[in-house]
Amino acid sequence: MDTGGTRARGAVLAIASAVALVALILGLAACGDDTVGGGSSEKVTTAKGGPVSGELTISNWPGYIDPGPKGTVAEFEGKTGVSVDYIEDINSNDGFFGKLQPQLEQGESGGRSIFVVADYMAKQMYDLGYLQEIDHADLPTVFKTLAPSLESPGFDPERKFSVPWQGGMTGIWVDTSKAPEIRSVNDLFDPKYRGKVTMLEELRETPALVMLAEGVDPATASDEEWLKAIDRIKAAAESGQIRDFTGNEYTEDLTAGNIVAAIGWSGDASLIENKNAEWRMPTEGCTQWSENMVIPVGAPNTPAALAWMDFVYRPEVAVDITEYVEYISPVQGVKELLEKRGSPLAESEIVFPTEEFTSKCTGQNTPPDLERVNEAWQDVLTG
Amino acid sequence: MSLKQRLVPYWLLGPGLLWLVVFFIVPMYFMGELALRSGSLTSGGFVFSWEWANFPDSLSGHGDQILRSFFYAGTATVLALLIAYPLAYAIAFRAGRFKLLLLFAVIAPFFTTYLVRTIAWKTILSDDSPIVSVLQTLTLVPQDGRVLATSGAVIAGLTYNFLPFMILPLYANLERLDLSLVEAAKDLYSSSRQAFLKVTLPLTMPGIVAGVLLTFIPAFGDYINAQLLGGTQQAMIGNVIQSLYLNQRDYPEAAALSFLMMALILAVVVLYIRFAGTGAFMGDEDEETAR
Repeated sequence: MDTGGTRARGAVLAIASAVALVALILGLAACGDDTVGGGSSEKVTTAKGGPVSGELTISNWPGYIDPGPKGTVAEFEGKTGVSVDYIEDINSNDGFFGKLQPQLEQGESGGRSIFVVADYMAKQMYDLGYLQEIDHADLPTVFKTLAPSLESPGFDPERKFSVPWQGGMTGIWVDTSKAPEIRSVNDLFDPKYRGKVTMLEELRETPALVMLAEGVDPATASDEEWLKAIDRIKAAAESGQIRDFTGNEYTEDLTAGNIVAAIGWSGDASLIENKNAEWRMPTEGCTQWSENMVIPVGAPNTPAALAWMDFVYRPEVAVDITEYVEYISPVQGVKELLEKRGSPLAESEIVFPTEEFTSKCTGQNTPPDLERVNEAWQDVLTG
Repeated sequence: MSLKQRLVPYWLLGPGLLWLVVFFIVPMYFMGELALRSGSLTSGGFVFSWEWANFPDSLSGHGDQILRSFFYAGTATVLALLIAYPLAYAIAFRAGRFKLLLLFAVIAPFFTTYLVRTIAWKTILSDDSPIVSVLQTLTLVPQDGRVLATSGAVIAGLTYNFLPFMILPLYANLERLDLSLVEAAKDLYSSSRQAFLKVTLPLTMPGIVAGVLLTFIPAFGDYINAQLLGGTQQAMIGNVIQSLYLNQRDYPEAAALSFLMMALILAVVVLYIRFAGTGAFMGDEDEETAR
């Protein structure tokens, strides 16, 4: 009985300590910063340079580099001894931000040292304190070969926190064997192609292109004009005209022959295994964008991250990337190198668009009341 | 009974209780607290303010998706039951030495992740695939029709993905069925049909109830099938919650909607168990009485 009593007391003790533990967890949580979101309160830091070694994790979009054993990633590993974990886990700017935001808020990047995101997203991350600044002295090659037109963009005039990765255009991918006559975004609403058309999930792409097709300039469009374009897309989704809203998945649908046309990105040829697929500049104009390498807060091994940024700005490396991905390179001298290699890409208007080619295009624009317009857009996506 | 003996049940409850508290009650608390915040992520963050309006707001405009989720998950559950019952019955009583092999076949898909299996169906059901051409030839699908990106594809995906959760409890239940009771029924001049309806089916109710719950609850909240196999106008409530969290970053409204969906499912399950009878839900009771 005596020992039984001791054990019983032990049991009570164990249960009591479990309850105490839970109370402690709750208490600790309650003591923390009481606001969810709103940006990191820590001061903006500058990414540290220095000797290069160790491991590097890069998050990028699919089809944005040759990740194979003879590709750019392997070349960087060979030259520097850095072991690179290159993950293609970005499918949309907003989706990626949404996934990482709680970690970034805590000053963590989930082990990643570089993200590649669009201009507006880089700015949004920077404003929330989620990015580190970059010292130009650590990137000698970048600021020697960067195209002058990209040196001072509106969202980051001094290139304090972003280094361009690639640029591109959003227009129409067409399966020319099935729908050779599609040239305008308005054609995508033609009942002939019912259920054979997809559009991108990105607010700044799809509704913007529809506005362009209607003769509205997205750069100066009012909320009502945005909502009108969204309503048109909504009606097409409800009638079954639009098969799906996608990120990169439209490339699979084009490959599998599920669709005849899609709103898509100009350089995705490497992801589409369909020789009839062709990217077309919509008759009413495209959206143009550039994407940037950024270094998030909490990024491990920033010296290697900076070394990577500088490495991909060597023209002989940049030309390999261009040949593989077929996007617009921010690096000067790529065209000459392609000509030297005799690549037809040197003549491509998609890789080296002239001012005339993109005369009707616009940048990535944000509606005046982003929250309201985005809610309407998301309701269409999850209709 | 000594104090020690009286404490044994609590000891045994301990780990389970702790698990529930740490992984269910605590997260629920945080989610509940989040659901009552207001503000915006990018300007100032979300601040606690007893914002009860988040609850009705989160429902507005999402009635379609809730009804659709019930319809998809309900249809998938019924289909899974119709497929699983004969299969589990056959494995339990007719498979002979192939019993283990067949059971293995039921579980084998789990060796590949859920996501990969669902993506595989995208390829299998793509518009130019042989399966779709066969279905078109049989006029089950119209000539210019498709399978992928339709409600049918989503329901099929849900049925396929949750089928093992229906088969396994049914099998476990059927396997313990005392066949001499069926024999006795037949001895008393019941037809096979009567014997099934009056003996086998009531005795396997616990398996059916468990299987239905294990299939319906996850299917209702699923968003992967709708996202990968569905097209426009096929989003389920899970897709809405995902969009609220990741794309609109309206955490409070997303938390509120998650809460309401949990409450809804709880209500449905409680009603279902009342309807199906607690005895059946608690397992052996019926069987014991029958014996």
